[in-house]
Amino acid sequence: MNTQFKKGVLELCVLALLNGRDRYGYELVQKISTQIEISEGSVYPLLRRLNKEGFLSTYLQESTEGPPRKYYRLTDQGKSHFVELYREWQQFSEGVEQILKEGVRDE
Amino acid sequence: MNKEQFLKSLDEGIKRLPEEEREDIIRDFHEHFQIGLEEGKTEEEIAQSLGSPKQIAKELVATYHVEKVSEKTTISNILRATWAVIGLGFFNLTIVLGPFLGLVGLVVAGWLTGFSFVVSPVFVLLNAVIEPATFHLLQMFLSIALCGFGLLLVIGMYYVTRAFIKLFIRYLHYNVNLVKGGMKDE
Repeated sequence: MNTQFKKGVLELCVLALLNGRDRYGYELVQKISTQIEISEGSVYPLLRRLNKEGFLSTYLQESTEGPPRKYYRLTDQGKSHFVELYREWQQFSEGVEQILKEGVRDE
Repeated sequence: MNKEQFLKSLDEGIKRLPEEEREDIIRDFHEHFQIGLEEGKTEEEIAQSLGSPKQIAKELVATYHVEKVSEKTTISNILRATWAVIGLGFFNLTIVLGPFLGLVGLVVAGWLTGFSFVVSPVFVLLNAVIEPATFHLLQMFLSIALCGFGLLLVIGMYYVTRAFIKLFIRYLHYNVNLVKGGMKDE
């Protein structure tokens, strides 16, 4: 799939995954890469950007298996950003879906 | 590539970032390797899935500088951010450079015109001192009118320049948000 397109959607995916609960970086990366083919490393620059823009906050939490992990949490600002992006995405994908259906029917 | 090579290459790529920022980034990737290893993957597999550390470093550097320019707009911040974004290989120079230089030229010309209008009465007076014979009162009035017009132009240019810089920063943001680097099917 088109790379620029995927990059934009990556942000939406990260926000969606964090909307349910807080997650650590590795977990986020795995969740996304099992569904979409990405270079896993590019999730980290995205996380840093979202953090700097105030959409995410981070905290360290002990883990049972080893050293503490950095968790990411959606801020209130991040939540409303997610809602906005999600709405845009829905409009967009419904539009595309509609056109695709018409295209198939006309064939 | 094993963990050490990956982290070394990444660190090399972000060496110009502040120490604190660098350490935090390395810690994130260290943690990523750590958890991957616990899950039974090899260092090589993890590095492979992460992608090119050089490209990741470029994205991190560009993100850092563009955020910085949004916090504090100084000429050197803008230049650094622009340079970092160019480093991503994402600026389409051939398409962007022409209009960009054109706009910069317009802004510079606006400022120069404004300033020369503002100082025009000084030149008329200078001329009157050096060559009193050629002095016309009309010249003086005209230059004062020009001065007023120049002041308005300078004020106008101030806002135009600010809007221009804002627009340019938005453009940098847009580029960073759409970095194609690191994606697999490039």
